[in-house]
Amino acid sequence: MTLCLGRHAFDDDATLMMAIVNRTPDSFYDRGATWAEEKAFERVALVVEQGAEIVDIGGIKAAPGVEIDAAEEKSRVVDFVARVRETYPRLVISVDTWRAEVGDAVCAAGADVLNDAWGGADPELVDVAARHGAALICTHTGGATPRTRPYRVEYDDVVRSAIDDTVAYAERALAAGVARESLVIDPAHDFGKNTFHSLEITRRLGEMVATGWPVLVSLSNKDFVGESLDRPVGERLTGTLAATAICAMAGARIYRVHEVPETRETVDMAWTIAGRRRPVRAIRGLQ
Amino acid sequence: MALVPGVLALLPEYAGQQDPVAELRSACLDAVGWLGEVGGIGVAGSHQGLRIARHLAAEAGVELDLAPEHPAGLLVVGNGSARRTEKAPGHLDDRAAAWDEALGAALRAGDLAGLDLALADELWADLDGLGTLRDLGVVAGCAAQVDYADDPFGVMYWVMRWTCTS
Repeated sequence: MTLCLGRHAFDDDATLMMAIVNRTPDSFYDRGATWAEEKAFERVALVVEQGAEIVDIGGIKAAPGVEIDAAEEKSRVVDFVARVRETYPRLVISVDTWRAEVGDAVCAAGADVLNDAWGGADPELVDVAARHGAALICTHTGGATPRTRPYRVEYDDVVRSAIDDTVAYAERALAAGVARESLVIDPAHDFGKNTFHSLEITRRLGEMVATGWPVLVSLSNKDFVGESLDRPVGERLTGTLAATAICAMAGARIYRVHEVPETRETVDMAWTIAGRRRPVRAIRGLQ
Repeated sequence: MALVPGVLALLPEYAGQQDPVAELRSACLDAVGWLGEVGGIGVAGSHQGLRIARHLAAEAGVELDLAPEHPAGLLVVGNGSARRTEKAPGHLDDRAAAWDEALGAALRAGDLAGLDLALADELWADLDGLGTLRDLGVVAGCAAQVDYADDPFGVMYWVMRWTCTS
């Protein structure tokens, strides 16, 4: 399916790098490295240079912590989105928020995508996306409340649950007026899931791709990688890239990442193995 | 008559995003297009060579007649040694350069009769089509034009045309 992310369109077979840009003092991976606006802006410049098609700007870390109200969240992201929009007119700007009020403000400031990592917790977010012609990432959390960790969560079939919930969310957004080509589903590794769930989602990602909705995966340095390999944050790149390759083989279209060049190369290699991308230059044995 | 090398990278099924043989391809298509102007084109080459001939002809908009009794023109697929350098497919064989030089001179002279083909297999040369050309004796006394002569991957390629007045 052709992807239309706000003011930007992408071919059927394009894979996209969505670089994480945290305007937070406490996110798990960068621990406030881009909390200062200038640092966040430098991060945007870096990932653009590295070829990221999308930046995903977030003002609240996913894990539990100090409560951040909508006003504080907006103060962290709205003006920043406007600045990035003005500097990079061809960059897709996504904002990681579950709040309709924040979504409305960032779209007015130039955001193209609302990345609702909390699976529709705010029912009015779909209306905001529709009103602004924005794209929407429909994630699966198993009904988790925003900013909570999973505790003894079990599913009859986690993949079935992820498909049913994300597709239902996409259909709801469609009914609210969001364009079909602007809807993306995301199984949301580790959100409302233990490591075994996230591994099964990865192993069976092809079932989500088979729904026909474009699939986003957010694997980068997550706990399911860390627990699988017994590696702390900071030592999870190899595991992340292995999971990335598996998801790319299955046909995931968007990759939400900390490390752009490494992921791009991994996805390109897997996409080429899958026969969806030509080698850049082939001469070995063909002279 | 025209000669093109049997390079698999010319085939669309082996295309990458970049064309490693762009210059060669261009020379091949020009030569095949030129050959097509006379009509009734036959082909001489190995099985793989015939695939390449078919593809180049299709790209150049030229119809091939794979079994003509008296072809007006002949598209020959063949090339020199694939053992010209350390990195060549067949590694370096010190005899390759001189052997290719002799073959090139024979091709330019349109005189294949006296060519010593004994080393061809050892030097990984593709001479199926050139053997046919020799047996037919059709380029003897023809004027040769060399469009391309290079070994970018350690394999000697020529793109040539022969214009025959008789």
